[in-house]
Amino acid sequence: MIPENFEYSAPATLDEALKLIQGGAKPLAGGMSLIPMMKLRLATPERLVDIGRLKDLNYIREASGAIHVGAAATHYDVESSPVIRVKCPLLSETAAHIGDVQVRNMGTIGGSIAHADPAADYPAALQALEAKIVLKGAKSERTVSAGDFFLDTFTTALEPGELVREVIVPVEGGGVGTSYQKMLQPASGFAIVGVAARIQRSGGKITMARIGVTGLANRSFRATAAERALEGKSGSATEIQNAAALVSEGVDANSDLNASAEYRKHLATVYAARAITAALARSA
Amino acid sequence: MKISGSHALPFSPEQAYAVLQDPAALALAIPGCQSLEKTGDNEYHMKMKMVVAAISGNFEGSVRLSEHMPPSSFRMDVDGSGKIGFVKGSGLLTITPADGGSAVAYDGEMQIGGTIAAVGQRLIDTTSKMMLKKFFERIVSG
Repeated sequence: MIPENFEYSAPATLDEALKLIQGGAKPLAGGMSLIPMMKLRLATPERLVDIGRLKDLNYIREASGAIHVGAAATHYDVESSPVIRVKCPLLSETAAHIGDVQVRNMGTIGGSIAHADPAADYPAALQALEAKIVLKGAKSERTVSAGDFFLDTFTTALEPGELVREVIVPVEGGGVGTSYQKMLQPASGFAIVGVAARIQRSGGKITMARIGVTGLANRSFRATAAERALEGKSGSATEIQNAAALVSEGVDANSDLNASAEYRKHLATVYAARAITAALARSA
Repeated sequence: MKISGSHALPFSPEQAYAVLQDPAALALAIPGCQSLEKTGDNEYHMKMKMVVAAISGNFEGSVRLSEHMPPSSFRMDVDGSGKIGFVKGSGLLTITPADGGSAVAYDGEMQIGGTIAAVGQRLIDTTSKMMLKKFFERIVSG
């Protein structure tokens, strides 16, 4: 349980950190995934650069109809932020589901999404929110959508030398209700399946439905067939069931000792129905 | 653990059969493969560095090909170990003609043990799928 030797640096600015990362150092944010791997000697980075305390990455602010969450914001910061709780409650609700208190106090949103564990909670919400993710390299910065960011198990759109700088989520408009529902693995807290639903209703009809799914497949995704099945409907129990059944259709589901592929697909339907029902109840 | 799936290749079954047994093509396509040397008829010694997320580890072992039924099927056995664990697998690759080329179906058993399996159990299925996908993509791109 003692890692191999490594060099550690904690620069004061993002630019300095990016220079070290360009030079081959591994970024360390909250360390909730990397440190356990190092202790088991599954990961043996020679140089770490600590970005978890960088002021340049530690913020949550609202600007022009969106909320900008710095990469080093911890899950607890997101869970407890008054601005997020009121204006983008799906993100704070999802953050509250991650791991346990200790993990939420250390782990960061940037670290979690850059790691891209296929069972992580945030990706479901970020897909449903159509979040944007800002990636910063030494010289340039680019913005990708959540749908284009999560590519595969542990694989994201991040290029070598790039860092997640911030996550941009929308300020919810009127009539929007959201919910995140998950079946968790009791020891780790990871989602065996997690579904985030975001529904807008107007005049008794669903005008927008967004459904993000995590844990089911190699990467998080938006269940667009289920979204289409809901839009224009009133949201009756039957309509919800029919839409939820589409969430796992055609999906190459994961299988492990916690749940077979078939069981996971069943769970996805059950939890999608719960998330849609709860989101509808919260919508206008 | 069972592994099975299939992948489309833009090659004729004869070409697919040949490329899937060509050590130069395999060395380029196997994720993290550092060397693949012939040690005998249908036997190779392989060195690879696996990098998945923060985990990285060197593996060394053998690849053996058998049950040749050109151009439709053959068996591949892989046996490797390293500091972080071991991998042992045997799979039958079946090649059938398909629109635009051929389809390769694989069906086999894989065993993963050591530290990596003890802590990574829930990720083995999805990670091996990802590596197989990469393998076939690189076989196509050459």
